[in-house]
Amino acid sequence: MIDMTGTMPTDDALAPRRAFGLAWLRAGVGASSSRIIGASVFVLIVLMCVFIPIFYPYGPNEFVAPPLQAPSWAHPFGTDSVGRDVFLRTFAGGRVDLSAAVIVTLFAIVVGTLLGTLAGSSRMRWVDSVIMRIVDAVLAFPLVILLLALVVVVGPDTQWGPAPPGLPAAMIALMCVMWSGYARVARGQALALRDSDFVLAGRVAGLSNGRIVTRHIAPGVSRITMALAVSDIVLVVVILSSLPFLGAGVQAPAAEWGSIMYEGRAFLRQAWWITICPGIVLAATGLSLSFVADSLLDSRRTK
Amino acid sequence: MTGQALLTIAVVVVLVFLLVRLIPGDPVKVMLGIQYTPEAAAALREQLNLDKSIPEQFLLYVGGLLRGDLGESTAQPGRSVADIIAESLPATAAVAITGIVFGVIIGVLLGLLAALSKKRGVDVSVRTFSMLTFSVPAFLVALLLILVFSLTLGWLPAGGWPGTWPENIPYLVLPAIALSTTMSTLITRTVRQAAIDTQGQQFMEAAFMRGLPGRVLNLKHTLPNSLLPVLTLVGISIGTLLTGAIIVEAVFGIPGIGQEMSQAVSRRDYPVVQGIALVSAIAVVVSGYLVEIAYTFVDPRARTL
Repeated sequence: MIDMTGTMPTDDALAPRRAFGLAWLRAGVGASSSRIIGASVFVLIVLMCVFIPIFYPYGPNEFVAPPLQAPSWAHPFGTDSVGRDVFLRTFAGGRVDLSAAVIVTLFAIVVGTLLGTLAGSSRMRWVDSVIMRIVDAVLAFPLVILLLALVVVVGPDTQWGPAPPGLPAAMIALMCVMWSGYARVARGQALALRDSDFVLAGRVAGLSNGRIVTRHIAPGVSRITMALAVSDIVLVVVILSSLPFLGAGVQAPAAEWGSIMYEGRAFLRQAWWITICPGIVLAATGLSLSFVADSLLDSRRTK
Repeated sequence: MTGQALLTIAVVVVLVFLLVRLIPGDPVKVMLGIQYTPEAAAALREQLNLDKSIPEQFLLYVGGLLRGDLGESTAQPGRSVADIIAESLPATAAVAITGIVFGVIIGVLLGLLAALSKKRGVDVSVRTFSMLTFSVPAFLVALLLILVFSLTLGWLPAGGWPGTWPENIPYLVLPAIALSTTMSTLITRTVRQAAIDTQGQQFMEAAFMRGLPGRVLNLKHTLPNSLLPVLTLVGISIGTLLTGAIIVEAVFGIPGIGQEMSQAVSRRDYPVVQGIALVSAIAVVVSGYLVEIAYTFVDPRARTL
């Protein structure tokens, strides 16, 4: 686009930044209204997931009322086929989904960005080729098929701290896959940055390679990566909650959005609320994060 | 371009080969589970060539692939993996292709609507709608469709698969709609952006100056130019589409690749898991490659001189 004001267009993604400066805050909580709405809805859902299971007088696996009761004041999302409170189970399940999504995405960001930056900034061609061909191959698999194959490799019964059965295998499988997208993004950015003037200046000034990568290249790379991370959290939640339908993922009776809806599917005719109410919360989570991701990408494009 | 695709397929083959070898501990023990006996283990080890050295195993594996031999199912003795895939593929292909068609139609219409409408409200609602369909998993859309169109209205079946044409058609509609939502979101965004970009081009201004009516401008210039990126998008989304098709199949109980895959996962039928993973990844690479070639036919500008 032609700049009418006659000033040089500044591409602030390319400027060196401190890794944890104020720019992060500004990028995260800009003035965009859709971002503020999205972020507030998401924070509200997170707070409900944290506090509702704490303040409820009973647990998510306790039988508290007759089965298949329609939504009421006592049980806002009704009760399921064995008389558990769906409202409580939904927000207890949200803890599982959201924390798994955040852990998987953080892992993917760190590993993917490191490998991608390495591929893009290494002067040895074979490092770049090896990493990027692996990325291409991983991205070639349909996500769910690769995940299911990895779940078998890891063993669906793998135990991992307090995680409910089935979750560790799903998380490990997701970690093995999700990094690849970040590697591709980071490599592209690192390539663009590697030959930019300020990196050359740093080299001329005698900075070590490690310092140039950590202080000048990595921050520019991670700014763009952050925008993608938000929409990846949605993707991980969506995939994680789809897995029970394919015989993998979190196993009953543990509360997780996918497992609750999978159990409810058999009672769709008599008791739609078991499936639809958690579904609305899941959709609201996804939509709020999509708003944030969309505004992050938009503001980068139009600044 | 060709070299790149072949190289990716080679790495895919290596990764799929390594899958079984990466199982911590004894893979045969994991596969047999509670049916483990030393004799069964020895027989399975021999069937999967696990008693040989790793380089030997790899050569045997690649040799088999070149002959079209993907091995034999361990859970259903006597059935070859290639047969299992060939039998379950038609149902998945039917769902996926109908899903693409629906997705392209909905996506192109919504994208053009958002880009061409003078009202900002239309644009904002289309974008919100496409974000909503992006955030709602395909299985949830599928369940909603079943609730509304099968259980409440009784218009279409809630699931199942007669296996013969044209009886399959009513069973195909809801799965295809559920699958199309993921596709149409991406297509809507792409078409909207492409249409907006096209309208900013000088040839559009020239056509407008020559006094062509808006209808001709939209149909003859904006539409074809907005459809080009859709081709690329469909090509690179075959993997996403397969993922969606598998999940939707599971909800509607359609006997396709997804059902074979989840059965193989629960029975730890390794050759089947490996075979489906390999074939689907190669399908993704090949279709991406074909789309790139098709693109040079459709758009002369993309031809390299």
